[in-house]
Amino acid sequence: MNSERIDVVLPDLGDVEQVRVVQWLHHPGEALHAGDDLLEVETEKTTFVVPAPVSGRLVEIIADEGTTIERGALLGRIERTG
Amino acid sequence: MVGSSGPGKRALHLPLDRADYGWTLDLQRTLHARRKAGACPDLLLTVEHNPVITFGRSGSSEHLLASPAALRREGIEVFEVERGGDVTYHGPGQLVVYPIVDLRAHGRDVRGFVRGLESAMIDALTDLGVGAARREGYPGVWVSDRKIASIGVYVSGWVTRHGLALNVAVNPRHFAMIRPCGLPIETVSIAEVVNGKVPLEMVRGRLLERLAERFGWELEDANLSEVLGGENA
Repeated sequence: MNSERIDVVLPDLGDVEQVRVVQWLHHPGEALHAGDDLLEVETEKTTFVVPAPVSGRLVEIIADEGTTIERGALLGRIERTG
Repeated sequence: MVGSSGPGKRALHLPLDRADYGWTLDLQRTLHARRKAGACPDLLLTVEHNPVITFGRSGSSEHLLASPAALRREGIEVFEVERGGDVTYHGPGQLVVYPIVDLRAHGRDVRGFVRGLESAMIDALTDLGVGAARREGYPGVWVSDRKIASIGVYVSGWVTRHGLALNVAVNPRHFAMIRPCGLPIETVSIAEVVNGKVPLEMVRGRLLERLAERFGWELEDANLSEVLGGENA
């Protein structure tokens, strides 16, 4: 079976430059379905839940909880399955 | 992508009148799941809560100024919730609106959604003779340096819940229990600005019209059983 590592990036939320990573809702190693709630970020009174872009297994967390990240930042990686 | 012309998108308004925060939170979560699944159109819940203090994801307990004993005495519950922002108070005399909206049909613009809520409130306040504005970097609506409305939103699967709270005639003693949004700011109600009584119903009517205008909705009133799809009615 092929395995491919897919980047999880912060989606374009409109006119938003920076967000704070609040919490990851999954641990590395956990299986995910595309669209599952993956992590929470917060900007100006809004919590936004970043969805998993593909089905697979979360293999890497790059943006740690509590850090501030920019638009388009790399958040983590998912190993695609299936 | 906020604002539109032409025929509106059908959306339902669910008036809850007076309700406990916890019950409303459960209802929001249920309706949010239904909206995500495409089982209902965009929804606007309006409610006046019994006194409650809530902490958002940036909430700090240092911003709660009242003691647990004082809260018990006043019958005020405390909740930690998933919305953005710090601490806020809800209670009688405050109009709360929870829009459960699919942002995929509104340009996937999270910032634009928050600004749309602010603009609709500013427009409605203008209709009522209250001059209000935004403050850059401080979401919400302000009457000079006093805060008249708060915003705290949660978005999952591009669908929103939580929303806005507009002070119509709130007990100032209750606001003194918190440092709203963690800032040393004063709050104000419509009644204080116009120096008279403004019925909450009237504010709700104006605000719903202005929201419909901003977001391009054709609003219809609905009841609980209709928005729940006939279950649990």
